[in-house]
Amino acid sequence: MSTLRIGLIVNPAAGRDIRRLTGGASVVDNYAKERVAECVLAGLDVVPNPPEVLAMPEKAGITDGAIETTPEEVAAGTLDLPIRGSAADTRRAAARLGEECAAIVVLGGDGTSRDVALECRDTPLLLVSTGTNNVVPSAVDGTVAGAAAALLATGAVDDRAVTDRHGMVEARLESGASVRGLAAVELIDRSFVGTRAMVDPADLVGGIVSRANPGEIGLPGIAGALGSISPTEPDAAFLGLREPAEAGRTVNAIAAPGMTAEVGIETHQVLGGEESTTIEVEEAVLGADGERELEVQDEEVEFRSLPGGPRLVAFKRVFAAAAGSGVLEKG
Amino acid sequence: MPAIDLETEDGRNEALRRMYTIRRFDETAAEHFADGEIPGFVHLYVGEEAVGVGACAALEDDDYITSTHRGHGHCIAKGLDPTVMMAELFGKREGYCNGKGGSMHIADVDAGMLGANGIVGAGPPLGTGAALTIDQKGEDRVALSFGGDGSVAQGQFFEAANLASTWDLPVVFLIENNQYGEGTPVGEQHNVDNLSDTAAAYDIPGITVDGMDVVAVNEAVAEARERARDGEGPTFIEAETYRYHGHFEGDEELYRDSAEVEYWRGRDPIDAFAERLMDRGELSEEGFEEMKDEVEATIEEAIEHAHSSTDPEPEEAYDDMFDGEVPDITAFAERLRADGGEQGGEL
Repeated sequence: MSTLRIGLIVNPAAGRDIRRLTGGASVVDNYAKERVAECVLAGLDVVPNPPEVLAMPEKAGITDGAIETTPEEVAAGTLDLPIRGSAADTRRAAARLGEECAAIVVLGGDGTSRDVALECRDTPLLLVSTGTNNVVPSAVDGTVAGAAAALLATGAVDDRAVTDRHGMVEARLESGASVRGLAAVELIDRSFVGTRAMVDPADLVGGIVSRANPGEIGLPGIAGALGSISPTEPDAAFLGLREPAEAGRTVNAIAAPGMTAEVGIETHQVLGGEESTTIEVEEAVLGADGERELEVQDEEVEFRSLPGGPRLVAFKRVFAAAAGSGVLEKG
Repeated sequence: MPAIDLETEDGRNEALRRMYTIRRFDETAAEHFADGEIPGFVHLYVGEEAVGVGACAALEDDDYITSTHRGHGHCIAKGLDPTVMMAELFGKREGYCNGKGGSMHIADVDAGMLGANGIVGAGPPLGTGAALTIDQKGEDRVALSFGGDGSVAQGQFFEAANLASTWDLPVVFLIENNQYGEGTPVGEQHNVDNLSDTAAAYDIPGITVDGMDVVAVNEAVAEARERARDGEGPTFIEAETYRYHGHFEGDEELYRDSAEVEYWRGRDPIDAFAERLMDRGELSEEGFEEMKDEVEATIEEAIEHAHSSTDPEPEEAYDDMFDGEVPDITAFAERLRADGGEQGGEL
């Protein structure tokens, strides 16, 4: 691992799915993503001798465009990696960058963040929100993320002091297949993966969350209405949902971007780190962080939290550590 | 009610059958074109079946579609009869346009199919026009315009999308991005990676879906149709797909390599959907074979019918163009009948 190199992953597909039609989700076009990536690169220059940058290649030209604007002091290039235009690109790039970089800046939503988290080993992640269903990444200016990455990569700030290990959750089928999520693994009342994104929040029939807070979107928000779980706790919450009219209790929650809903609660179970819960599923799709992933028919599905989630950088703590340390002072 | 309900097992089987019918119709047309039996050009839809079927399944029977030069799949997806279509390809009087339209101009207004079209980007203005009619008449239906990736670079596409969005018309623009405008890769025609990004220029939603997945296309069009019906205006859907054959039959395809074609064939929409239905226990190997045999019989019947159909006479050339009698045309037809076309063959 080079302490003087950071990774950059920009997901060109984040933030443009079918929720543009069904909810109030915002559109993040590639031009906007390129501007954010440019800001990340510009932010690296906040320290003397900034780290070099190794970026995931992608066919939309966002990364290449941003690299052209890199400050003179920053050496930037792309990984030599074949690209297919799918989530597999992100995962392969994360595996490589995890080996070669001190920290990785990720531009995407919860889905992109999960793909990186699954492969990046223990490399600290700086997650910048450009996706749709953003529970995990922060809505932070790219320049701030770049500056934070530079402070970590150059060792000016100790990464162990400013990172928190985020939880992960998993649904495992009897047949061996599994789905892992950073914030949530959802059980969705649909037959097919289809357009991937969850089209109608009313299709959500349950699932497990690694974090819960009423201020979050989707299943973590619904669980949060019943009790909060911090992202760093080993606990998870399992939920079974039903029609509000048929449920003994209901909660109001932010069901999707631009959409609040009254949700009926059938089951709410807080699971300790080692605990799991198993249910019979006749027909449904398992989703991870708001995206449909796996079609399930007549299976037993076990839900549990997973140890060893990714280390996420707390931006404010990076700058608090830098303040007064002299690292940002000249002369 | 959607034309084919993909929420049901029967609907899913019908969608598979429709895709396979398109595949075999076009493969068979290619053979007969090579034999010199079909005049003009044919542009085949092989590989793109999930787009047409996924989209038309989400429409209702009285919704309109407009098509492209690659329109056989749209016609079959909208429920047109392959037998009458094949007669049209062969230039026969028994075809949809009495044999005078051919492969690139099949239309059946009664079925809501407003016409295939040889001009790139000519469908979307027709779709906007149909949607304006729906709007003015206060009807409860929508129009869907198919277009290729090349059409998005046409001025008339801009005009159609601009008016439709300005007036909140009930139209869906479904762009089939098959990766090439004739022989030019999509990346060399457009400055955006996703054509759906251009929707922002009209302040309408734009999404990109997997055009090799009939369910994904269907979901997107169903949502877009609902928006249109609810008065929320047009939607831009880009379906990423691929044509296995050349731009037209006889195309040397110097602009792409076989590895690329093989990659996309590995994602075949028909094989993939059949496999999913089998995994779900909704289709057996035998059932699929039986379905294929039935489709084969339909296509064979269409060829036999085309062979036994009749050629239109020269004096019918201008028939069916105008509503009511046009004296010049009547006189033209009479001159042709009198001398067999020796003299006076022009209006």
